[in-house]
Amino acid sequence: MGLLSILRKLKSTPDQEVRILLLGLDNGGKTTLLKQLASEDISHITPTQGFNIKSVQSQGFKLNVWDIGGQRKIRPYWRNYFENTDVLIYVIDSADRKRFEETGQELAELLDEEKLSGVPVLIFANKQDLLTAAPASEIAEGLNLHTIRDRMWQIQSCSALTGEGIQEGMNWVCKSVNSKKK
Amino acid sequence: MKSKNLACNDSHMNCLSGESLNAPEPLHCCQERSVANLTDHTAGSSQVRISLAVYLSGSHCLLDSKKMLGYIWQYVYTSFLRYLLKWLLRQATGKCELQRICSGYKPGATRTTKAEYSLRSSKNKVLRGALETNKDKLEQCVDQIMKVKNVKPQKDPQFKESLHVCLLQITGHSSLYTSVEDMRKEVFNSDNQEHEAMLLKLWDLLMPTVKLESRITKQWGDIGFQGDDPKTDFRGMGMLGLINLVFFSENYTEEARQVLSHANHPKLGYSYAIVGINLTEMAYSLLKSGALKPHFYNTVLGTPELWHFHQLYCYLAFEFDKFWVAEEPESIMQFNQYREKFHDIVKTHLQDPDVSLTLTVRSKN
Repeated sequence: MGLLSILRKLKSTPDQEVRILLLGLDNGGKTTLLKQLASEDISHITPTQGFNIKSVQSQGFKLNVWDIGGQRKIRPYWRNYFENTDVLIYVIDSADRKRFEETGQELAELLDEEKLSGVPVLIFANKQDLLTAAPASEIAEGLNLHTIRDRMWQIQSCSALTGEGIQEGMNWVCKSVNSKKK
Repeated sequence: MKSKNLACNDSHMNCLSGESLNAPEPLHCCQERSVANLTDHTAGSSQVRISLAVYLSGSHCLLDSKKMLGYIWQYVYTSFLRYLLKWLLRQATGKCELQRICSGYKPGATRTTKAEYSLRSSKNKVLRGALETNKDKLEQCVDQIMKVKNVKPQKDPQFKESLHVCLLQITGHSSLYTSVEDMRKEVFNSDNQEHEAMLLKLWDLLMPTVKLESRITKQWGDIGFQGDDPKTDFRGMGMLGLINLVFFSENYTEEARQVLSHANHPKLGYSYAIVGINLTEMAYSLLKSGALKPHFYNTVLGTPELWHFHQLYCYLAFEFDKFWVAEEPESIMQFNQYREKFHDIVKTHLQDPDVSLTLTVRSKN
């Protein structure tokens, strides 16, 4: 008998696997967020060509986080990853005001996707460490988040660079998975 | 801030946390790590954990005792046998270990790696200090070593030069890393005219017949940047990423354009610049880990310079493209899997003591 099977038996309840999709425009900070979640070094990040995936343990969940590249050219591939998504995390560069409209449009399109219907969405208003960052409240208003009625949603200001706000956001993710299962 | 991870605070094992799903490790590897994790945790059902660890060590006792013997042997060897052996050989040949290394192996990775090991494990301060000596003082340093080791230049006329070259290579590798790291830490800055000029130069080299309509334009996508301003694409590689891209285009213009045309293939294509920056990261981490030492020891019989590092980047950029085209991946979304595969191939090459990762086409300069 291998260790893994023993470990599985030892656990009172097996870890529930949660599929999390990390989307957003390029340079939003998705990969940095992913690496922060996995406690990895964030100083050598490069633009994501394709996708990265990591598995992180949190609050009795095994979070399988899919970080998909955000450049326009590969956004058409996003839909290949929608299936069985438990939570969508949408990352916004709060300091990139020029692209608020573009990011809002992409988010709106995602929320219209049939395969993502009812999937809870967490919006990370990232890069709050920058002085020019817009506050989460302003972004929420700009994106008309209050009009979302068909799912649970939450906006959380954070800095993937310093780690601030990430734990709070992930707590919400776990909570939303729990309440969805009930 | 890094401690802000989501590791569980209950008794669940987190042996899988942070590991890539698509690259499962062999089982025994995972088990070892779990045992390490068991000892890390103090809270919770520690008794269960200890008995588990005991059970595991029992089931792996064959493997462990083999490992243990290995450790004991290594300890005995490095702290006792090695010196005895060295002394015996010295008596028999009349030469010190460094002399035997320099005369016994041809110049290159084997000789320099052995010399490096010999110096690093020496009991003598002068010999160990040689590894951290400034380039200009190396000649004096070699004289000192010869004095300490009682090497007579008349008896071994080549030794001085051989050791000098070894030391230039060894100390040069760490100074190369420092220069590369400085370049990586320099952030691309649109207010810096040099940076801007270099970016525009990259365009002109790759797209000689097409004029850039403005500094901020979708055209950047044609050479594989993500958006309309490349400045956000250099990320953790900073200026090193741009300098590598420009170096390849400038010194291997034809090859770079050929690679770009492959990258722009409608089906098999990839983002030229983005992949280039990813390959800079590969070159950088190989350098940082010391994996490139044999390559530089074989190809540069002296101090490796920055352009040697850029040359290595050119090799990676050209070879990766060849590899990608030959493998015909389904789509760009598979990039990271193929990157890993390619990385493994490069690392395998670097295990060969005769490794030389050079682009076989002729450079213009």
